[in-house]
Amino acid sequence: MRRCYPYLLIAPALGLISMVSLYPTLYSLYLSLHRIRRGTMEWVGLQNFRTILTSASFWQSLQHTLVFGVCFVSITLICAYALALMFNRKLALNGLYMTIIFVPWMLSDIVSGVMFRWLFLPHTGFGHQVLEALLGTSNLPGTPAGAMGIVIGATVWQATAFAMLLLLAGLQTVPREIYEAALIDGATRWQSFWYITWAFVRPTTMITTLFLTIQAINTTGMFLAITEGGPGRATEVLSLYMYREVITFFNFGSAAALSVIMFVLNAALATIYIRTLRAETV
Amino acid sequence: MKHVQPIDRHILFRAVRKSPGPRRRWHWETLAIHVILVGVCLLVLFPVFYTILTSLRPPRLGLSRTFIPDTWYFDHYIRLLSTPRFPRYILNSAINSLGGALITTVVSALAGYACVRYTFHGRSLFLIFIMGMLLLPGLTNLIPLYKLASDLGLLDSYLIMIAIYSAYGVPFGIWVMKSFIERIPRELEDAAAVDGASPLQIIGHIVLPLARPGLVAVFLLNFVYNWNDFLTALIMLSSTAMKTATVGLFDFQNQLTGNENELLAAACVIIMLPGLVVFLIARKTFLWAMLDGAVKG
Repeated sequence: MRRCYPYLLIAPALGLISMVSLYPTLYSLYLSLHRIRRGTMEWVGLQNFRTILTSASFWQSLQHTLVFGVCFVSITLICAYALALMFNRKLALNGLYMTIIFVPWMLSDIVSGVMFRWLFLPHTGFGHQVLEALLGTSNLPGTPAGAMGIVIGATVWQATAFAMLLLLAGLQTVPREIYEAALIDGATRWQSFWYITWAFVRPTTMITTLFLTIQAINTTGMFLAITEGGPGRATEVLSLYMYREVITFFNFGSAAALSVIMFVLNAALATIYIRTLRAETV
Repeated sequence: MKHVQPIDRHILFRAVRKSPGPRRRWHWETLAIHVILVGVCLLVLFPVFYTILTSLRPPRLGLSRTFIPDTWYFDHYIRLLSTPRFPRYILNSAINSLGGALITTVVSALAGYACVRYTFHGRSLFLIFIMGMLLLPGLTNLIPLYKLASDLGLLDSYLIMIAIYSAYGVPFGIWVMKSFIERIPRELEDAAAVDGASPLQIIGHIVLPLARPGLVAVFLLNFVYNWNDFLTALIMLSSTAMKTATVGLFDFQNQLTGNENELLAAACVIIMLPGLVVFLIARKTFLWAMLDGAVKG
């Protein structure tokens, strides 16, 4: 009986997770190999994958995901780094600043989306007016690059705080004495940043980057709330493409194939993440 | 003796200060950092303030060019809360997010305890599995879950939302509870075990009361995440009776004719309120727990 206790204790957790993660993953693999029409299911092998991999929409949305991901991850990382280095000084009011910077993290995608949509509404939006004054006339949501830019801005605004917290935790593992030793040895500030801070923080940076990359691939709510893939299909990322296949076209087979592809992408990143984390803690 | 005192105080001040040499430079840097951080904070809060101010404007002015409204106008909030739909959406959000957070908390406390206090076959496998689930986002599961729910006739129900929410929170919850329970000294439990208490009694009477801050953190964070969830609810819910506030907001935005921006802003403010209030009250626990859930190996 005693040996059963731990299994009994983890059973509810395991059951719940299996129900919403493990089972759906296997089920989507199964669905992806079928054509589903009006309740009937027909085995089609890899047909769905072939259809997707040869469709222009898929490659276009993959490209949009890549553009978004690269911009989002790099900008967030730079902002988060700058903030983390400042917070690491342990100045007065740090707690207040940090609380404020975390506010966007506590807002729903749809609320943030509505707010950013407003800011750049042609003619009336405040952000639009600022841009108009700075760059001349502009209809940001109406242009492909502008719409993507707004979503990137909104997601950076939302995600920076958390990335900063991760990096700050890494920065605080650096022992202060090393800096003093370096100072005595006559190291410049740049040298002590590069050879001490960076050396200590590199694994954390790697982890934060992976974390943000996973987030970038799966950003859906913000796109739905701000652009819904528009103008035209200029901001249709992979996740929106998948959403549309199901909600608009009821193409379960190809949507499932898409979700298998995205799952593989995510799982690859997650594996690297866990490897890095283990290498760091050992 | 009197004339000595000012000198003494002077020496004391010197001692409290750090080295006098680089002091001036540090001072400038500190000031610069404060200026930058205040700027960042204003930038971060700007959309939120903009929305709050918009919600307090009289209707049909559009998003006017004056920033501070001339007259404060609270009718949008009254109008929203007296519509039949909006309070219902709020109620649905509350039921789903509270139910999900409650189940998550209980389930992850039990599993977290098992992972700390027992060594069992498959423990490390279970932990790696949990960690994987922590990282893999729910997005790719939504398609098969939607199909499953529609086959079982569970679309548009509290049951499916609470089930999904509670399960999504569990990996994170286990991670936080694990690190909390690890800090509780083992002797108390051993003493209770000697007295013949069963594991459930030990958990209920000794571990959970001591791990209460962890439980609170898991519950509140999951409540906020569930409350803010938009995508899962959008896919699973389609009837007016069952929709949550975030989905209602999405619909509202799409039906907007252009004259009701202030009303929409008021809806935004009401929806963001619970998350913000909970975060402001428990911010230290939040930050701590989030860090724990993300980087502890």
